Amino acid sequence: MFEYSMIQPLFWMAIGLLTAVFFLGLRYWFQDLKIRMYWWKWLVVAIWLILLAVTLGGAFTLIGENEPKAGVRFLLFFGIIILLIGGGIWKIVARK
Amino acid sequence: MNRRKFLKYAGLASGSLAMAGVSAGSFMAGRSKDSYTGWGRTPYGKDQFFNRTPFLVEKPTYQIVGKPERITYVENIFRRNSEFFRLLMNRHPDGITWDKSQGIEGLPEPLKTYYTNHPSAFEEFFRMREKAREQRTNWPKYKDKYHLADAWSTAHSSFLGGPALFPAEPSGPPEEADFKGVNPNPLPLKSPEHGSKLIKKIAHSFGATLVGIARIKKEWVYQGSLRGVGRVDFEVPEHWKNAVVFAVPHEWESFYANPVYGTSYDAYSMLRFISGKLEVFIKEIGYSARSHVPPGQYDLIMPPLGIDAGLGELGRNGILITPELGGNTRLAAISTDMPLIADKPIDAGINKFCKKCKICADECPSGSISFDDAPKHVIRGFKRWKIDQDKCYTAWNSFATSHAKGCRICLAVCPYSRKNNWIHTLAREVDPRDPTGVTSKAMLEMQKNFFDYPGANEYLPPPDGNNKTFGKPPDWLLTEEWFDV
Repeated sequence: MFEYSMIQPLFWMAIGLLTAVFFLGLRYWFQDLKIRMYWWKWLVVAIWLILLAVTLGGAFTLIGENEPKAGVRFLLFFGIIILLIGGGIWKIVARK
Repeated sequence: MNRRKFLKYAGLASGSLAMAGVSAGSFMAGRSKDSYTGWGRTPYGKDQFFNRTPFLVEKPTYQIVGKPERITYVENIFRRNSEFFRLLMNRHPDGITWDKSQGIEGLPEPLKTYYTNHPSAFEEFFRMREKAREQRTNWPKYKDKYHLADAWSTAHSSFLGGPALFPAEPSGPPEEADFKGVNPNPLPLKSPEHGSKLIKKIAHSFGATLVGIARIKKEWVYQGSLRGVGRVDFEVPEHWKNAVVFAVPHEWESFYANPVYGTSYDAYSMLRFISGKLEVFIKEIGYSARSHVPPGQYDLIMPPLGIDAGLGELGRNGILITPELGGNTRLAAISTDMPLIADKPIDAGINKFCKKCKICADECPSGSISFDDAPKHVIRGFKRWKIDQDKCYTAWNSFATSHAKGCRICLAVCPYSRKNNWIHTLAREVDPRDPTGVTSKAMLEMQKNFFDYPGANEYLPPPDGNNKTFGKPPDWLLTEEWFDV
């Protein structure tokens, strides 16, 4: 399924590191915005980020496959849905 | 435990986990067959990556509605047409001559019976000839543009004629021909299970992407013509017990750029090499073997054997669709008396998906593929979608190629003919496990709304179309990239 080249484990390690740093930063953002975060709020945020990653990944995979129009349509369709969901999630998460 | 202490231990645990992850990832990097270069995955069967176990079924997904019948050789368009051409060129083996004014009534058997039952096929034969003539006249207009594609296809087909044909055509009855060169002192095989495992590994090592084993049912054996013997009705030879069925795909990018840049011969030539070598191998270990290979050297029909061997399911377009290769699955087989365990067929929802999809029917330049929601024609005792092979062959003769070289649009546009990357793997794995059908509906909507299709007629040359291809051709087949044209 995946190609285990030299670069791939290093790439995913770097992505993991960046994600960890991102969540640390996000924690401080929420603290500064005086938003109280509970475990379920973190879970909702994490699921949304996974969906965003899948949308971006899907679109760029199709573009990489020489299907640029399909990739852009995929991005527009799911991107708008993900942004709308993101707006809804923000309203829930931002409740103090 | 205070926060500081907790973080200290959590840090140690995370570090250990990260190191374990690095070790596991590195081990996989060292061990995985995916890291092999070139065609290195193939010998280990790693192209056959779809887990069929959850989808094994007792009964194959084709629908038996009557008494299954054997297929007569004239039902195959290539063998029927070559017989007709021989007649028109006054080369009939019995010296019979015929001209069109004599009509179907004046044709010799078995052509007379076939065309009496299929009068539209008779008319289509002459339409095809007309299109072929027209295309031969038009070819000088296209021969520079498609110079490389034509050369590439010709290279792949170059060994398909002449005395050096490999594998050699059988000569004499199967009871003799299939045993020529068989080792008279074979070692005792431990068990049929060992035989199956061994033969699959060997077939993969010869380059087969997919391999399966099926029992040979008599309805999968042609009637009326037997290679090595001639035009005879025959009983299925006793020693045609099992078929080792194997498949390879076409080269990816040229396949997407069908019809004018793709060729069937790239896969055909690979299949012939695999089959020829496997035939020799099976004989060397003491069993009879006969190759059934493209383009026309078959005594067995391939798609139902592929279904029985658990490789895939029959598609609306009349070909075998497999989870790994989709419609990009070209088949060959070896019939043998080697004791083998037959694989079970699968039901991975491909047939059900075909009922809804119809993309191949929409895009078929000849309109040969049925739009029926479900198969309704009973053909030799099986309910299936009907393919108008005569109209299909007329389209072959209409494309901007040097001669009729096939089409493959229905293979290329098939939603199952997709790459092996995460997004298509996700679809491939989730869809057959979703009993609600929501996934396949969503996939189909995305396929139809996100992807562009040129449209059936566009693949044809002007004035009917614009020589469009389904995908972008690779630069190495674009003549204008390398030559002044």
